[in-house]
Amino acid sequence: MSPFSSTPKPGGDRLRIPPVALAIGFAALVGAALILVSGHDPLSAYAEIVRGSLSPGALPDTLNWATPLVGMTLVAAIPLRGGMVNLGGDGQLVIGGLICALAPLFFPGHSAFGAAVGLALAGVGGGLYAALAAWGEVRHGVPMLISSLLLSYPAIGVTSYLARFPLRDVSTGLPQTLMIPPGARLYVLSGALNVGSLLIAAIALAVIFVDRRTSAGYELRMRGKNPRFAGYGGVRLGWQAVRTMFASGAIAGLVGAIIVLGSQFRFIDGALVTPAYTWSGLMAALLVNGEPVGAIVAGLFFAALQTGGFAMQRETSVPRVLTLVLQAIVILFLAMRRGLGRRM
Amino acid sequence: MAEIAAVGIVKRYGGLVANDGVDLSAERGEIHGVMGENGAGKTTLMSILFGLQAPDGGEIRVRDAPVSFRSPIDAMAAGLGMVHQSFKLFGLLTTWENIVYGAEPRRGPFIDRRAARDRVAELAAHHHLAVDPDARVGDLSVGVRQRIEILKALYRDARILILDEPTAVLTPPERDALFAVLKNLASEGRTVLLVTHKLHEVTAITDRVTILRDGRTVANLRTADTNAGEIVRAMTGRNVNLKIEKRPLPPGDTLLKAVDVTIGSPSGKAVVDHVSLTVRGGEIVGIAGVAGNGQNELVEALVGLRNPDGGRVKVCGRDVTDTDVARHRAAGLAYIPEDRAAVGSAGEASAADNLAMGFHRSAPLASGPFINPSAFAERARVLIRRFAIRIASESTDVGTLSGGNLQKIVVARELSHEAPALIAEQPTRGLDVGATEHIHEQLVAERDRGRAVLLVSAELGEILGLSDRVLVMFEGRILADLPQGRADEHNVGLLMAGRGAEAG
Repeated sequence: MSPFSSTPKPGGDRLRIPPVALAIGFAALVGAALILVSGHDPLSAYAEIVRGSLSPGALPDTLNWATPLVGMTLVAAIPLRGGMVNLGGDGQLVIGGLICALAPLFFPGHSAFGAAVGLALAGVGGGLYAALAAWGEVRHGVPMLISSLLLSYPAIGVTSYLARFPLRDVSTGLPQTLMIPPGARLYVLSGALNVGSLLIAAIALAVIFVDRRTSAGYELRMRGKNPRFAGYGGVRLGWQAVRTMFASGAIAGLVGAIIVLGSQFRFIDGALVTPAYTWSGLMAALLVNGEPVGAIVAGLFFAALQTGGFAMQRETSVPRVLTLVLQAIVILFLAMRRGLGRRM
Repeated sequence: MAEIAAVGIVKRYGGLVANDGVDLSAERGEIHGVMGENGAGKTTLMSILFGLQAPDGGEIRVRDAPVSFRSPIDAMAAGLGMVHQSFKLFGLLTTWENIVYGAEPRRGPFIDRRAARDRVAELAAHHHLAVDPDARVGDLSVGVRQRIEILKALYRDARILILDEPTAVLTPPERDALFAVLKNLASEGRTVLLVTHKLHEVTAITDRVTILRDGRTVANLRTADTNAGEIVRAMTGRNVNLKIEKRPLPPGDTLLKAVDVTIGSPSGKAVVDHVSLTVRGGEIVGIAGVAGNGQNELVEALVGLRNPDGGRVKVCGRDVTDTDVARHRAAGLAYIPEDRAAVGSAGEASAADNLAMGFHRSAPLASGPFINPSAFAERARVLIRRFAIRIASESTDVGTLSGGNLQKIVVARELSHEAPALIAEQPTRGLDVGATEHIHEQLVAERDRGRAVLLVSAELGEILGLSDRVLVMFEGRILADLPQGRADEHNVGLLMAGRGAEAG
C-alpha cells in the first residue's frame, strides 16, 4: 500500500495482435523447444497432431471427443457468463450418467422409451444437484465456488459405491453396472459418432441464442459485468442464480447420459471423471469469460488438441502429455495477457 | 518571483491531449485556485506538479529554478505536499504514526516514538489542526483524516501545498475551519494550490485563480477583480445559468412514503432510526446531511435493495415493504444511485445494454422472452440524442465515458421510466458546472411534470437551491423538516452537525 501510487491512463493505440493467436504461437514455440530437448522433431509431432485430429479419417474421433468436452464447456460457461462458477461438473456428470445407466433397465422391452426417460431424468437430476449449491449460497451464504465443488465428492462417492456393490454387474469383475440393452443406445451416425453429438450441438446453439436474444440472457450478461447493477435494475439475483445453476447442471447431467448411452453402455466407476472433461471445459470457458461462442470454439480446439495427441503418441514417440502442456501454456499466456490488460 | 510555476506543460495519453501548453504560476503566500470542468486537465496538471507523472513537454520551476521530478519523493524534497481527494492513510495506525511515516525521527535503528509524537502534537497545535495524536485513523471522521493529510505535508515542511477537491467530504463548519487553516498557512508564507469545482470557495478564499479548459489555460484572474459569472464563462466557454429557476407548484398526492423506517446495525445502534417522510407529486424534497449519517441505508430501504428492520415503505400508495427492487420499480419508482460506476451502470457493457436495463422485458425491446437488439440500439440512439450524451456510438462501452457523460446515461435511463417517484442520490457528485446545470434542470422538469423527487445530497447548495422542503439527517434521524423559505446555509449547516438547539 504505497501512499503515492500513480494511476496511468489507459494506453494509446499500439498494434494489437489477437491474443489467442499470440498465445497459441507462444505455446507452439515452447512446445517445440520441449520436443527438441527430448530429441524429437517438432514439425513431425505437430503434423501428427493436426493429421490425427483434423484429417477426414480422424474427424469423427475428434468430434466424439469434443461432444462431452464442449458439453462441459457450456456447463462452465453458463454460470461464468453471470460471474458465477460451477466447480461441481463432475458430480452432476456422474449423477446424470448413473440415472441414465439405470433407467432403461426399468423398461424392459421399451428400451428407446427408457433411454428417453433416462436422458430427461439425467438432465433434471444434474440440474437439481447444481441448483442445490446455488440455493445454499442464496439462502445460507455458503459460497457457491466451495459448495459446488464439495457437493461433487459425495456424488462421486455414492455413485462409485452403487456401481461397486448393490448395482454391480456380477458377471464381470469390474466396478460397473449392467449393460443397457442395444435398443436403448444412441443412434450411431458414423464410426464412433452418435446422435448425442447432435444433441450437444443443438444445446450449444440454444445457449448462444438464449445469451444473445432473450431477456434472461441479457440479465445474466449484465450480472456478469456488474452484479450490483443487475440487482439495482430489478433482476432477482437469488432466483437467477438458482435457475442458471439448474441449466448448467442439467447440461452436465445430459453429458453424463450421452456418454453412457452412446459410448460406454453402462456406468463404469471413474470413467466419466477420469478424462477430466469438467476441468478442460472449465479452462475453455474461463479463457473467454463464459462468452458462449468463444467457449465452444475453445472447447473444440482443446478436443482437437487432445485427440491429435493420441495420434502423435502412436505415430511418433512423443508422449501425448505434450498436448496437455500446450493446452496449459495457451491458457497461461492468455491469462497473462488479460491480466496485463486489466492492470490499472 | 513565483514560488511555483508550470510553463507550457504538455501531456498526452495516446491520442488524447490532457494538457496542451498549460501555464500556472503562484506566488509565495498566495492561495491560488485551480478551476476547470471535468476533463479540463486539472488532475493531470496536479499529478505532474507533484511528480506522479512526467510531462511530455514544458517545464516546472520552483522558486524560478527548473526542476524535474521523477517521483513524489523528489517533489516533497523540493517542498511540495499534496492532499489527495481520496486519502492515503493507514487505517490501523495512529495519527502520529501516519504523519511521521517515511520520515520518522530515529534513535539509533529505532523510531523515537516520544519525539515523533511530541513533534506531531506541537505541529497540530501550531496550525490549529485539532487531532488526537494517539487515535487510530480508521476510527476518525473524514474531516479529521483530512487534517492528518495536511499535517503529513506540513511535517515534511511543505512550502507549497496542493489540495485536490478538499471540501467535497466536509460539513460547512468543517469547511470553514479548513479555510481558516489555509489562510493561516498562506500568512506564514506558504503557497496553497486549491483545486475545486466550487465557485463560492474560489471567491471566498483565493487570491488568484487559474482556469483550465480543454487542456489549456484560458484565464488567470485576480479573484478580487472578477466575479462568478466571468469564471464560469471562462470554464465553460458560454453563459451558464447559476440560479435554479423554479415556478411555484401546488403539491399533489403523496407518491413516496416512509413510516418509522428503522435499520439496525451489528453494534446495536440504529443506522436509520424511525425515519418517516412523505414526498408528494410536484415536489422536490431534499435530504441534507454529512455522508454516513444513514442516508445510504435509508435510500436502500426505500428502493428495495435492503429490507428495513422496522417500518413501512409505500410507493404510489402501494405497500412495498419487504419486497425486492423489481416490485418497488413496478410500483412506480426510479432511482439514480449515488455510485454511478459501481451500481448505476455496467462499465464493460455497451450504452445500449446499460440504457435497456428495466425496459428489457417489455415491448418494444422485448416480445415474450425474446429481446430485439435493434430496438435496444434504436432506443439508445434516441436517448443519447435527447440527453446530449457524448459517446462514439450506442455500442461503445460506458466504462470509457467521463463522469458527467456516465451520469447522463444513468439519468437518461431512470427518467425515461417516467416513474411517478424518483430518488436521486448525490446526482451531481464530481460533475462540472455544465453537467450539474443539466442534471438540475432535469430534476426540476420532473417536479414540474408532477412527479415526486427525493433528492439526497451532501452538497448543501444543491439541496437549498432545488428543494421545496429540506429534511436534515443526522445520526440516523431526521432532525428537521424545513420549507424552502426557512432553510438556509446557517441553520441547515448547524443541523447537519447535530447542533439542532443552536439552529433554533
